[in-house]
Amino acid sequence: MSDNQVNVLVICGSLRKGSYNASLARTLPSLAPPGMSLKPAPAWDKMPIYNHDIQADTGFPAAATAWADAIRAADGVIIVSPEYNWSIPGGLKNAIDWVSRMKDVPFKEKPVALQSCAGGVLGGSRMQYHLRQCLTSIDAFLFGKPEVLVTFAAKKFDEKTNELIDQPTLDVVKQQLAGFEKFIRRLNGKN
Amino acid sequence: MADKALNVISICGSLRKGSYNRMVMNALPGLAPEGMSIKEAPPFTDFPLYNADIQNSTGFPAPAQTLGDDIRKADGVIIVTPEYNFGIPGALKNAIDWVSRLQNQPFAGKPVALQSASPGPVGGARVQYDMRRAMVFLDALTLNKPEIFIGNCAQRIDEKTGQITDEPTKGFMKQQLAAFAKFIAAHGSKN
Repeated sequence: MSDNQVNVLVICGSLRKGSYNASLARTLPSLAPPGMSLKPAPAWDKMPIYNHDIQADTGFPAAATAWADAIRAADGVIIVSPEYNWSIPGGLKNAIDWVSRMKDVPFKEKPVALQSCAGGVLGGSRMQYHLRQCLTSIDAFLFGKPEVLVTFAAKKFDEKTNELIDQPTLDVVKQQLAGFEKFIRRLNGKN
Repeated sequence: MADKALNVISICGSLRKGSYNRMVMNALPGLAPEGMSIKEAPPFTDFPLYNADIQNSTGFPAPAQTLGDDIRKADGVIIVTPEYNFGIPGALKNAIDWVSRLQNQPFAGKPVALQSASPGPVGGARVQYDMRRAMVFLDALTLNKPEIFIGNCAQRIDEKTGQITDEPTKGFMKQQLAAFAKFIAAHGSKN
């Protein structure tokens, strides 16, 4: 890993083993430009349900602190998430809610790119637009285009191996990662 | 006025003891029209974070089934929620994500009313419009008006006694509950 690479953290919004979004998240290193290295974020599903009383009594849960530290240390973050009920999965939103309460909010001025896979025609776009709204409220810098909205996911992932096999999708992901690297360098002044 | 007694349940989106939204929710029975009883739904604090693998292996967690049952039995549901990061608190959204997967999905055709309290001036508008969107997907019948956005809630609610001190706020809540009763009578399930 070279010093001049941008280090990107990958967060997946689904927990299930057979998740298309998780499969896409695992594929990212193979599609990344040479100047970008990627690694998966610590788990977000060990955080308890957000309750200010917990925060006030015993402080931030260790899982929240670990997640926040990893986000802070990264040059950029990619969130790959499904859409639940036309919006952000509650578990992922719960993790964001926890870290948003820290003194040094990890998402502040952090470059973030979004990706989603879904079974139907909108490809998770409702979730992405909510997530943009949510992360903007905590001052993240949301990457614009190209968007990665993987529609009709079942047709684009191999039935047996669950690998992403649709070439146009692979191409747009590659394009987004290349664009995201430039975006990070411009915003972080890391040239 | 409704011909039959209406049994409405209320769900609070905040967990902390000193929650303003909880104080608002607690005031509901006293502001309800004759014939409408309002009581708090079973809690969602012990729901695991949604993961389809849990659902497909050990089944729905018992508390999720309990909440689903109570929503189904109720004539209407009132959701009183704060706004976290311009959106729905993750824990509340997680509860909705679980019950949305139940057979005979409990929110389908269910009359729903929304309220929110916030220390800021906007009073929770963003969370309510996000919630409406999730409710559209779930095919619920969300009451359009009047809307209840309790902005600058610290000036309207006495933290120590838990009582709403602002008369106009109570007036608007009374109006909404009366409208909700008519709405349920006109459009709710006729069982």
